[in-house]
Amino acid sequence: MGFFLVMKAELVRTFTIMRRYWFATLTGLIMGWGMLMVLIIGFMSGGGEMAERLAGEKATSGALGLVIGMFAFGIVGLFTQGLQGMARTGELEQVYMSPHGLVTNFLARSFVSALSAIFTSSIMLMLVAASVKGRLHADPLPTAAILFLTYVNLIGFGFMTGGLVLVFKQTGQVAVLIRLVLVGLAVVASEAVQDWPLVARGVAHALPITDAAICLKMVVVQGRGMGVFATSYFFFLLVSCGIWTSLGLTCFKIMENWSRDKGTLGAY
Amino acid sequence: MSNSNAIELHDVDKTFYTRHIFQKHEDTGRRRLYEKRAVHAVDRVNFTIERGEVFGLLGPNGAGKTTTVKMISGLVRPDAGKVFVDGLEVERKRLKVLRKIGVVLEGTRTCIWPLTPLENLSYFGNLRDVKGPILKQRARELLDFIGLKDKMNVQVRRLSRGQKQKLAVCIALITDPPVILLDEPTTGLDVQSSRAIRDKVIELTHERGKCALVTTHDMAVAQSLCDRIGIINHGALVACKPTDELLDVFSEQTFEFRVDRLPALDGLAAVPGVVGAEPCPEDDGPAFLLHLVQDEATRSAAMYDAMDWLRGAGCLLRSITRRQQTLENVFLRLTSEPRPARPDGE
Ligand SMILES: Nc1ncnc2c1ncn2[C@@H]1O[C@H](COP(=O)(O)OP(=O)(O)O)[C@@H](O)[C@H]1O
Ligand SMILES: [Mg+2]
Repeated sequence: MGFFLVMKAELVRTFTIMRRYWFATLTGLIMGWGMLMVLIIGFMSGGGEMAERLAGEKATSGALGLVIGMFAFGIVGLFTQGLQGMARTGELEQVYMSPHGLVTNFLARSFVSALSAIFTSSIMLMLVAASVKGRLHADPLPTAAILFLTYVNLIGFGFMTGGLVLVFKQTGQVAVLIRLVLVGLAVVASEAVQDWPLVARGVAHALPITDAAICLKMVVVQGRGMGVFATSYFFFLLVSCGIWTSLGLTCFKIMENWSRDKGTLGAY
Repeated sequence: MSNSNAIELHDVDKTFYTRHIFQKHEDTGRRRLYEKRAVHAVDRVNFTIERGEVFGLLGPNGAGKTTTVKMISGLVRPDAGKVFVDGLEVERKRLKVLRKIGVVLEGTRTCIWPLTPLENLSYFGNLRDVKGPILKQRARELLDFIGLKDKMNVQVRRLSRGQKQKLAVCIALITDPPVILLDEPTTGLDVQSSRAIRDKVIELTHERGKCALVTTHDMAVAQSLCDRIGIINHGALVACKPTDELLDVFSEQTFEFRVDRLPALDGLAAVPGVVGAEPCPEDDGPAFLLHLVQDEATRSAAMYDAMDWLRGAGCLLRSITRRQQTLENVFLRLTSEPRPARPDGE
């Protein structure tokens, strides 16, 4: 109930701002596409002669990875830098005083920003796919399912980092680093992860983006459709969802109370 | 607990800790690798505010006013003691309590800058469950009364500081809450606007039975707005009385003596019942102020003794007048004392 009320308010706010700053929104989209294109051209020219045939698939796979990475970057950023900024300006206290609780508020906020991110990134991805003529497989059910799980996973992770930022303001810089790692992982994630050394493999599976990126690439780029549900990566995704969400929410609750003790909810 | 009070604070205490790494200590001048310092922001504060009442919290910077407001609104958790709003304990029923209060905190960022005042009100109204038609009507009424109607479709970033402050007050009132907490609501406002806010608060409390807690530096506002005033210094409540009583108590204490020449005031200060004596230069000759104890019998004795002492010192006594106190004098006197003893209870 509270979730939908907050979501409605957030939706109105987000779209009002998007409309008011339509020029920035539009240029943002174009720049994002431009950046992806530069990257893809790099992929294609670096691969030598034999790469020609593979280029389409490899390029879209990389682009998709980058888009998911940016998605993760944005969602986690909402909980870290976003939360920090809100605390500094006093907006956080204002949000905290809405009678739905901070968790509900941030769930709704992140949901709205995820929706708008998915909206804009699918446009970008479509543009990219058209530009390099790589085929994208539009499989609504698996895609939606994986996107949703990815979102849940990131939210859990976000709540944990957000909670830490709430109390230890200096962890903000570390959070930027973690976000960049997420982007990098999303780009390179592929089934080759299995051949990585044990420690690297552990870290990759532990972070909330690797399995999600692999699954999504399987569906959208390789066109495996429902087959993805039978892979171990999907299983890993489910498990990490469960772990990160429960860990994240618990951590956030504890940190929220601690932050009220230390009075860091407000001005830093 | 009891239902007649809208806000109750029972022995509320809060200490903040700050951590310093390799910082010089002010007193000793020594550097320590790591040091934890404590700030006793609020020191066992007790007060209650009834419905229909405006309570003013006055104190110098860093006295603990904002911390108190934040503890009532659940933004800061007290170390000890209990806060009740409308009979609900804030720590246990925080979300319910939040539905009953409207808060204006310090700062200009309490509203969203890329949105217009009208959009801000509808955003915060939506966030706090105010239904569509009521929300629209109330938003317009509020903006109209506070004088922001012509700015209602201008982005907040383009408004002046005072206008942002006015909007913050509107946002706090958008849910029509029974309990209103205003932290320095009139700083940065022009006379008309601060008067408008004052009138609104008086209307909401005296006529519509809400209760308001106002912290302010502005003595004029406090004196004309608040029914009761609590003066807070170093986190402790040093006085808490109805406004006129507070002024009365202190005006009875201070007397102005006009004399032909200033005697040695140290001797006078030693007279039993005299709290202090200080010169106060006047245009038409020397004069001094005598601060006497509050107890009436002792004060009377002190007056006689002081006059005897003056006669003994060979002074010519021209006149004695009781000092008319303004809140400002009371405030300055109370807050200039280094660390007050426990407040004399009500
Ligand atoms: N989050 C915090 N961490 C450490 N000290 C704080 C914090 N918040 C307030 N303080 C300290 O507590 C004291 C009271 O602050 P505050 O309530 O804001 O005073 P006022 O509003 O009366 O000016 C000040 O000395 C301030 O430095
Ligand atoms: Mg303050």
